[in-house]
Amino acid sequence: MSDLDDFKATYFDECSELLTELEEQFAAIEAGERDAGRLNAVFRAIHSIKGGAGAFGFSALVGFAHAYETLLDYVRDGRIEMSDDVVTLCIRANDIVADHVKAAQTGEALPADYGMDEKARFDALARGESVAEDEEGGEPLEEFDIEFVPVMVHIEAAEDETHESDAFEAAPMAFEPGHWEIHFRPHQALYARANDPLLLFRELAALGEMSVRAVIGEIPALADFEPFAVYCSWEITLISPSLTEAMIREVFEFVDGDCDIAVAQLGGGLAPLDVAPAQSLPLEPGLSDLLALADDEVEALLDFALESAPVAEPAESVEEAPEPSFAALAETIKPSAPIAVARVPVEALKPATPVPESEDGERRNVGVQSIRVDLDKVDRVVNMVGELVITQSMLTQQMDETLRARYTELVRGLEVLAQTTRGLQDSVMAIRAQPVKSVFSRMPRLVRELAQKTGKKIKLETIGENTEIDKTVIEQLSDPLTHMIRNSADHGIEAPDLRTARGKADTGTIRLSAEQAGGNILIIVEDDGGGINRERVLQVARDKGIVAADVNPSDEQIDQLIFAPGFSTASEVSDISGRGVGMDVVLSNIKKIGGSVHVRSWTGKGTRMTLRLPLTLAVLDVMLVKVGGSPYVVPLSSIVETIQCSRAAFERVPSGGKVLQVRGEYVQVIDLAERFDMLTETEADNRFVVLCEAEGSHKVALIVDDIIGQQQVVIKSLEENFERVDGIAGGTILGDGNVALIVDVQGLKTTIMHKTAA
Amino acid sequence: MEALGLRDDLVDKTVAGHNTLQLIAFSIGEQTYGVEITTVREIRAWNGATPLPNTREFVRGVINLRGTIVPIFDLRARFGDGQTSPTKNHVVVVMSVGDKWVGILVDAVSDILTVSRDDIHNVPEGNSIDTELLNGIVTHESRMVGLIDLHAVVSGAKIDG
Repeated sequence: MSDLDDFKATYFDECSELLTELEEQFAAIEAGERDAGRLNAVFRAIHSIKGGAGAFGFSALVGFAHAYETLLDYVRDGRIEMSDDVVTLCIRANDIVADHVKAAQTGEALPADYGMDEKARFDALARGESVAEDEEGGEPLEEFDIEFVPVMVHIEAAEDETHESDAFEAAPMAFEPGHWEIHFRPHQALYARANDPLLLFRELAALGEMSVRAVIGEIPALADFEPFAVYCSWEITLISPSLTEAMIREVFEFVDGDCDIAVAQLGGGLAPLDVAPAQSLPLEPGLSDLLALADDEVEALLDFALESAPVAEPAESVEEAPEPSFAALAETIKPSAPIAVARVPVEALKPATPVPESEDGERRNVGVQSIRVDLDKVDRVVNMVGELVITQSMLTQQMDETLRARYTELVRGLEVLAQTTRGLQDSVMAIRAQPVKSVFSRMPRLVRELAQKTGKKIKLETIGENTEIDKTVIEQLSDPLTHMIRNSADHGIEAPDLRTARGKADTGTIRLSAEQAGGNILIIVEDDGGGINRERVLQVARDKGIVAADVNPSDEQIDQLIFAPGFSTASEVSDISGRGVGMDVVLSNIKKIGGSVHVRSWTGKGTRMTLRLPLTLAVLDVMLVKVGGSPYVVPLSSIVETIQCSRAAFERVPSGGKVLQVRGEYVQVIDLAERFDMLTETEADNRFVVLCEAEGSHKVALIVDDIIGQQQVVIKSLEENFERVDGIAGGTILGDGNVALIVDVQGLKTTIMHKTAA
Repeated sequence: MEALGLRDDLVDKTVAGHNTLQLIAFSIGEQTYGVEITTVREIRAWNGATPLPNTREFVRGVINLRGTIVPIFDLRARFGDGQTSPTKNHVVVVMSVGDKWVGILVDAVSDILTVSRDDIHNVPEGNSIDTELLNGIVTHESRMVGLIDLHAVVSGAKIDG
């Protein structure tokens, strides 16, 4: 039971990946990349979803996926043109597939007719094209309607001799064209991936008249039976005048690499395949080629075949039949599966066992191998590596000059340790890194829907979607991004006529980009809409008491107000978003993962929202400083430069605050000792300024007593055992075991802003 | 649940007898205080702490407890007697309060006491800091031991605004 649950969980994991893949593919297809590669990828994804769904008995999903697949197949054949309408229909179909998957996962039932309209449209599309030019083209469609009527499979009972001769009577069919012989031998991996040969047979049965025979000669005595070994292979005869090899291969596409497949067309004059197959295989040149038997094996087989000739004699084959126990055993094991007489001597079957096609074998080796790992396990490793990095840097720091001179071996060892640690850290981080594509790919659809709902014309551009970022960060990114894009589409981009009136193109653009900037990832959502209506925002903020009546915030501060909790310009609330509703959620979500949000707006030109996210949540590059005798660390990513202090450089502004002039620019000064209420014993002129860039363009100068150096730290939570402290982003443990606090540059700046504003 | 309850009973009977309570007693100056032994995680020597800005006087800062950051509360300061001037002989008692771990800085740990629950008296009514921070008072061999209310001790640590 739990095994099945595990399989299901894996299947749903895969489904979510495949659905993401579908989104990606269709984003590209929409953009005009309508090549066969994309289409094949889509086809494979749908096919995989269908395959698993069949194994678990999600029949509604199978039904819809099958119809969809048929349509895709027609598009692939060129019978249906990949027009915009078809693309739109496919995108809708993806949603339906996703809904079906979700329903299967949650166990909720969808309406019985869910997706039927689309299914009917597939139908119509396919028929419209095919009936006109090709009578047969329409046939598979008719067929898919009845696809889930139980498929008749010819079962040839093992122990019954008369069936033998029945099969023989069928043999003359082999001389007709369109008569195919398939040898299908699954590997263990096929079952491990929860595939069921029965589904493949059903699919084959849809292609023509089929008979299936199981080759069970390899099934050992019960005592030797290994439950997970694969003993069974199948021979399938398939008859249909229009059948091509490609059509057959396609059925097996999904299990490609997990089984051995031999497909051959039966011409005239061949020994009927009904005869012990392993003997007849080498006699049939096509099959032996396909199986790529080793030369000596072929020879051995030929010898065998000659010795036992005439193999085709029915009487002969009956004599060769194995003890009935095999068949009986087979029947008990798999009573529902098609069973045929196993008349194949065990030694003769051997060559038919996997002698992988060399090409095939290579492909399997080249393919990316992966395992699924519980994220918790990776996290544990990441944490441990973090601690290791810190211990290593502590060791290095404690090596003073005398020790260095004395223990050169030790120094060398430490250097190697440093290198290995760094490498280990990078590798561990890489395990969790994922391209932001997985989130970005959901956005085109969102924009499309928003455009439809709002009646606007919106185009989405994505840049840097291969930028990699920690998986835990990515998971937290989807909601904020959705909110931001909704916000841009709903409030940023103007209606087409207004845009034209403002002299802009009637189609608005939302640009979504990701880039790595030092130890951070910047994700920017930018639109070329009307910008934030500051008057209204300020008015609402005043009405709600977020900003006092006598305070005049700067433009930048007003823009930032849309992130204030409870802020919403009520008059603008729509069913899509209310600016403010959700934006405070954006802020809190992003803060939770150690990031920050900044918004800038240009009236009439657009709005840009910047998310700054840490590359990883585990290790931070910092500058270690001292303030009032206590260690503090400032994230290196926010530091612009450090300056030796000079009292003369500070000037007081009327509000009582200090500013520092740095190359012609006035920068707000925060004396950390003062701010943190600590006593500093350092002389004023011996102190240092750490110039930081908080979110946005504004810089802030932090005065510290001493700068100690750079290092890496593991972020520890202060809230775990205490509570959040203003101006402090968390804590970390230094090499000497002491705790250092992490300065929250952005937080300091905002509290100062509030203080001056209040 | 049932099983756990039973086990507690057994422990009580064998180790300390029925209806009794074991306390860790520690001193601040002349005064003795106690906390229930089950809340105490470890006792360690004072080794300094990193000060936390924007917190009240009685928050001495944070320490590293095997990779976890734990705040330290100065019990003397909490009772309004000014900050302790700690030496190496001062002691930090690490305890769990709810799901958090906190350290309490005291002068010394003096004893493990077994007291009867019946001997616990209510704190006399009043509005001094003492009464706010105590759950009760128990007499042990003619000494008066104040039972610390940990939740109260660690509350109000931040300076607002």
